[in-house]
Amino acid sequence: LTADALPKVSTDDLPMPEARDDAWHQMDEHPLVEVEDGYAATHRDVVEQILKDPSVFSSKRAFDVLASPVPMVPIAFDPPEQTRYRRILQPFFSPRVIKPLEPDLRKQVGEIIEPIIERGECDFIAEVAAVFPIQVFLTLFGLPLDMRDQFIVWKDAVLNLSAAAGQTSVDEAAQEGMQKALELFTYLSELIQKRRGDPGDDVLSQVLSIEPPDALSDEEAIGLCFLFVLAGLDTVMDALGFGMQRLAENPERRREIVNDPSLIPAAMEELLRLDPPAPFIPRVTTAEATVAGHTLPEGSRITSYLAVANRDEEMFPNPYEIDFHRTENRHVSFGMGVHRCLGSHLARMEMQVLYEEWHKRIPDYRITPGTTARVHWPRGTVGLDSLHLTIQAGGAT
Amino acid sequence: VRVAIDPAKCMGHGMCYSLAPSVFTDDDEGYGHVAGDGEVPPAQFDEARNGAANCPEGAITVDV
Repeated sequence: LTADALPKVSTDDLPMPEARDDAWHQMDEHPLVEVEDGYAATHRDVVEQILKDPSVFSSKRAFDVLASPVPMVPIAFDPPEQTRYRRILQPFFSPRVIKPLEPDLRKQVGEIIEPIIERGECDFIAEVAAVFPIQVFLTLFGLPLDMRDQFIVWKDAVLNLSAAAGQTSVDEAAQEGMQKALELFTYLSELIQKRRGDPGDDVLSQVLSIEPPDALSDEEAIGLCFLFVLAGLDTVMDALGFGMQRLAENPERRREIVNDPSLIPAAMEELLRLDPPAPFIPRVTTAEATVAGHTLPEGSRITSYLAVANRDEEMFPNPYEIDFHRTENRHVSFGMGVHRCLGSHLARMEMQVLYEEWHKRIPDYRITPGTTARVHWPRGTVGLDSLHLTIQAGGAT
Repeated sequence: VRVAIDPAKCMGHGMCYSLAPSVFTDDDEGYGHVAGDGEVPPAQFDEARNGAANCPEGAITVDV
């Protein structure tokens, strides 16, 4: 077989905005598909082959498109450099380090949810899912929570810049975005200097206090902070939005976790399986490679489509069904291999706390009639622009 | 029941020790380990198998 025999999909035309299950379904028949920017790997075994072989499927070249002025530590690196970064950073994001934050985060979630109960309705994205991950970031970095709105402006600007990467037109919006990104850059640079001089007990201070030879340079530290902003905020927001949308639309499934909150971790994994918020993991080949029987030349861009791999019938029976009782759920929504999401333990804790605290207080809710939650598309990450929920009368305690 | 984690395959997802905490433990970096010497009582077989079945990397083997 040659590349000519591959099916082609125009991903921009997928029905992602209102029918994302259908969109992923359109890509699941063949393990390798030709797409606008190269190849898409869609079956679980092929995704596994790619993500477990970083010497052939490189991250370094894959993230060049972001044209980041600072080193994107550690996602845009391959082993052995990446191995060093992971060894340095991993202890700060392990479950035993993250766990002590839980009571504080639980309290913060409660304070976010309480006003919504009284009002009886909300835009879950703007009022809950967008603000909570930023508060977690501020908490981790030892920054005051009243910087929340400023950070929302900054991260939207930076995310829009990276979404627009590759486009050549420098319009007014792009210039404003660049200005905002520069503000964030300056703020982080100054913060790093401040924390180096007067360390607190926050994660940033701890990372900065690492002794040579493992010490991070200012450039690396800024890159890492940018990565937290790029990878750690909207991802959790999007995953929570998708999860709550499915729970709102499927009252039987929702009642399962309301009646038995111990089911929430399994439910969370199942919702993550269906809706990985960062579903496209790019790699570029460093040598000729054989994937699903096809020969790919060196320099090929091949993207793992995690949401499709998570619907591979070979591994997930009835893959398009929401089932909180799967005996086996080896989804790869946090990636796999050496680049497994560094923040996965933190993200899981954020989501679990949110699902628990919300359903304890608000067991019954539905999509507000007359509103439609839409996925922004095309984009490098997927998420809902808004999710209007109406709390059912008598639901609140 | 013999339980083992291949350290070359474990990427620290943490599914095993959160689902089956009496069989698996975590370390300071979040990697999974089999508690004790790798020999677990038959009563923990289901728990061990549950941990293995949910490891995204397929790093865990459970042999009777």
